[in-house]
Amino acid sequence: MANATAATNTGTSASAVNNSNKLETRRLCALTFFAKLHPGDVCGSNGLPLTPNSIAILGRSQRLKQLQHANLCQYLDVVRGKHERTIVVSEYVGHTLEEHVKRHANTPLSNTQLLRIFYQVAKALDVLHAHKLVVHNLEPRHILIEQQQQLEQVKLFNYGLHHMTKGGAYVPFPLGNVRYMAPERLLGANGSIKSDVWSWGMLLLEQLLHVELWPRLKLSNIAWKLLAFVRSNSSSGGGALVLEKIAREHQRWEMYQELPHELRHLLERCLSVLPAQRPLPSELLQHKCFADAAEMLQVASEHQQLEQLPLLLRCPLAQIYHLWQLAGGDVQAELKKEGLIRSEAPILALPQIVRLSGSSVCPPRSQSYLMDERIVLLKLQPLLQRLSRLPASVYFPLLQSQPRRQQQQQQQQDLQQQLPLLIRERDIEYQFRRVRLFTRLLHGFPHTADQLQREAAIDIPPLLRGPVWAALLGVLPNASYAKIDKFTATTTDRQIEVDIPRCHQYDELLSSPDGHRKLKRLLKAWVTAHPQYVYWQGLDSLTAPFLYLNFNNEELAFLSLFRFIPKYLQWFFLKDNSAIIKEYLSKFSQLSAFHEPLLAQHLSSINFIPELFAIPWFLTMFSHVFPLHKILHLWDKLMLGDSSYPLFIGIAILKQLKSTLLSSGFNECILLFSDLPDIVMENCVIESQKMYECTPKSITHRQHALRTQAPHVLDIGLAEVELQHLQSEQCPRISAKDVYQLLQQAPNELALIDLRSVVEYSRVHVPHSINIPFATVLLGEQRLEALNVPYLEAQLRGRIVVCVSNIHQHAVEFSHFLVACGVLRTCILHKGFNVLHSIEPNILISN
Amino acid sequence: MATTPRSGGSGSGAAQRPNGTSQNKSCQFKLVLLGESAVGKSSLVLRFVKGQFHEYQESTIGAAFLTQTICIEDTVVKFEIWDTAGQERYHSLAPMYYRGAQAAIVVYDIQNQDSFQRAKTWVKELHKQASPNIVIALAGNKADLSNIRVVEFDEAKQYAEENGLLFMETSAKTGMNVNDIFLAIAKKLPKNDNNQGSVIKPNGNEPTQTTNNCCK
Repeated sequence: MANATAATNTGTSASAVNNSNKLETRRLCALTFFAKLHPGDVCGSNGLPLTPNSIAILGRSQRLKQLQHANLCQYLDVVRGKHERTIVVSEYVGHTLEEHVKRHANTPLSNTQLLRIFYQVAKALDVLHAHKLVVHNLEPRHILIEQQQQLEQVKLFNYGLHHMTKGGAYVPFPLGNVRYMAPERLLGANGSIKSDVWSWGMLLLEQLLHVELWPRLKLSNIAWKLLAFVRSNSSSGGGALVLEKIAREHQRWEMYQELPHELRHLLERCLSVLPAQRPLPSELLQHKCFADAAEMLQVASEHQQLEQLPLLLRCPLAQIYHLWQLAGGDVQAELKKEGLIRSEAPILALPQIVRLSGSSVCPPRSQSYLMDERIVLLKLQPLLQRLSRLPASVYFPLLQSQPRRQQQQQQQQDLQQQLPLLIRERDIEYQFRRVRLFTRLLHGFPHTADQLQREAAIDIPPLLRGPVWAALLGVLPNASYAKIDKFTATTTDRQIEVDIPRCHQYDELLSSPDGHRKLKRLLKAWVTAHPQYVYWQGLDSLTAPFLYLNFNNEELAFLSLFRFIPKYLQWFFLKDNSAIIKEYLSKFSQLSAFHEPLLAQHLSSINFIPELFAIPWFLTMFSHVFPLHKILHLWDKLMLGDSSYPLFIGIAILKQLKSTLLSSGFNECILLFSDLPDIVMENCVIESQKMYECTPKSITHRQHALRTQAPHVLDIGLAEVELQHLQSEQCPRISAKDVYQLLQQAPNELALIDLRSVVEYSRVHVPHSINIPFATVLLGEQRLEALNVPYLEAQLRGRIVVCVSNIHQHAVEFSHFLVACGVLRTCILHKGFNVLHSIEPNILISN
Repeated sequence: MATTPRSGGSGSGAAQRPNGTSQNKSCQFKLVLLGESAVGKSSLVLRFVKGQFHEYQESTIGAAFLTQTICIEDTVVKFEIWDTAGQERYHSLAPMYYRGAQAAIVVYDIQNQDSFQRAKTWVKELHKQASPNIVIALAGNKADLSNIRVVEFDEAKQYAEENGLLFMETSAKTGMNVNDIFLAIAKKLPKNDNNQGSVIKPNGNEPTQTTNNCCK
């Protein structure tokens, strides 16, 4: 912490220099290669074009990001470049085994040191084996060593190439260094961890004998040598023969014989020609040779003190990389700078001859398209400097801090929150604060649920959106997903299979084969978990955002969906959902009339009913009509509202297109919605939020909405409003409870129109209500002035207008008149005037 | 769903050219596309209306609406096209779209036998429920993949003849026969001033407009 406080002082340059040598210990790097190109214009069996291999690689590599282990360099990102280029961003530490050996050229590494290094490599292999992964490119360049005091900390690097390229199938080059390749791999076997054990043995042997194996031989000759081992193999002791051959060939036979017997035995087993005779990585770890190494490392890890790293570098690497990108870091630019990406004039690549069959003769691809194994380190220094003036408290925000400091922070944040969302999302300092804060809140979930909700209302940092959404939905992972059957064939499989290749396919992750598989599993799991529901087209779109955000955590994606659907789409996926949809759309019409009376009138006059355009909106919560990046911002707010929030989004969309809609007929309107124009999402979100907040809850009452508690006596009862009422009444009903609340808390926002006769009104009425006896008015003219009530327009403006009568039909007709006059926020008191008598304490004035 | 989106009232009548020299008849027809999901209904419409093709055309939920105007001889024909969702579950919405339609294209995928069977059920339903004079065309789509076809051309053709349907194999991808099938329908549709009385006109519609913006 001493270091941390030093960094908070203004004299940061000194501490930055002090730390510069430490910086080297935690670094990011990039490497790049090309995926194999598909020949010409080939289609898959489903008639769709083949997925580019780089996309397939992108999908497969996501899983690698999840691997976190002390002996593995963490994967951070995979980026697609032009022409099937793939760029991999990974952690990088210290230096390679190659360099390590060179540094110790004068005092060769002792066997103890070597065993410590290779013990850790074996540990890495063991972890990968547990994840059903193999390396297949084990070589000195991929073993990274960082000297920590007396011990070597080893991390395996670039170990995921085999997995991400599906065993090399997606790339035009072979994986691995022939020198360390097991003979069976030369014969075509692929995917066994035992092949890695061979390589491990060869590497260890090379180091123990202090030689470089076959330094002057051509690749083909090395391959011949390895294959010769197979031929000379006798049924037993193959390993001993191999070792003797190699040792003698390099004039190290005596040296080899001086090695401890146990070590030689281990090497012999690793270099058995038959893979079955080689030990597994877990057996390597148990071997007696490593007892000392294991113990030392164990002790070291127990006594490991807090590293004196700058605070930033103690954050999770994924956060550092995210910040590096926000600070302007661009992997492609870094690679270009180092000459790893070279652009050439496209004209040079034009084919010289194109045959009628479609095949073409091109100039040979230039050198820049060949595999280049160099790596490029990404510089973290600018990022550190950029964030150096942030106080340590930002790294560890206090959730329950003193009010005064909170106030200060509040002011600062308010300033930033006035900026548009898109700018805030790119502001590195702001994002840094938010990411740290949300990381803490997520750690404390569910105890921090309220605070999380409050902070999410401000905005959600994109880096943590997946888990934050899950928390907002109240997801608590419980390993239930693993138990759901996702594989048994069902009747909906065909539908799911034809829908997935059409679902948000512009996105690289969702269009990758892994994305398809995951989406299919999620959908099948959801259907299996809900025997009462069925798969409706659209469920795929609804699931896609959750998968996109939790690509590596299917369970979280599933549980989020699992909670999301009842919250917003209760009963929508019933086999017969017509009653639910009809009710929903009727409520949508009512709310349109409530907030946009003139527009609603126009649309209903041209018969432009919600059934024709709004089903895909609501059934998929807009995920079928907007691209992912818009859905994310929309749902950020949606998650905070209740089941009525989507209705307001719908109205906000209508509102944004209002002028066009008002001047259009049926055809133009429907055409407009068939190809929804560019909706400005931020405005849409703000508008819907405003309407959501100023609408009393009972206005949005739906019989089929999810209910967590029984309705209050003065609420609208569960089945009290039938569909036919909803459809015949333009204006929504308000409950006595909400009217009472408005009267108590915000009487200025309420205008009560009492439609009863003058006599009844004089007997008992609500204070400040306006008496317009229904029997005396003529509603033929659609002008407020026609009512002859002085200042009526002014009395209604900006308020929630409640029509009250004892005869329901009067209230309905009068409310229709008000809508026709363009009066905003008109509603009807549910159960009429008499219900007001039952309010305790009394609100009525009687004479 | 009791409402009718809007009948394709076949408004027709003489439209005056701005210069007043020649007169063209113009009429509007409501056309609906039906068929199993993922057979290429939306793609056919997109090819016909915009000349485009998207490999990963999104699925249709509910229905989509597009219009296109073509000219045959001296008549301007405007198609109001309802492109419906293919999933069986959305079936209950279908009558809303085919009721009052003067034409329908029933689409199947030549690589998929089930989709052909589904097309037959659609034809049956149309014969039973839709307006009696409806012109029905059967489209065997994805003809560019005819090397892996499952539904034989002759089989479909024979079925179409027996049931009085127009028939073509189409490819939204290459554009093959796409315009032709719409043209063939337009030719078969009656273009007299007063269309059959079977057309229901919902109230509240603005008078049908006449379109006259091509064939200049």
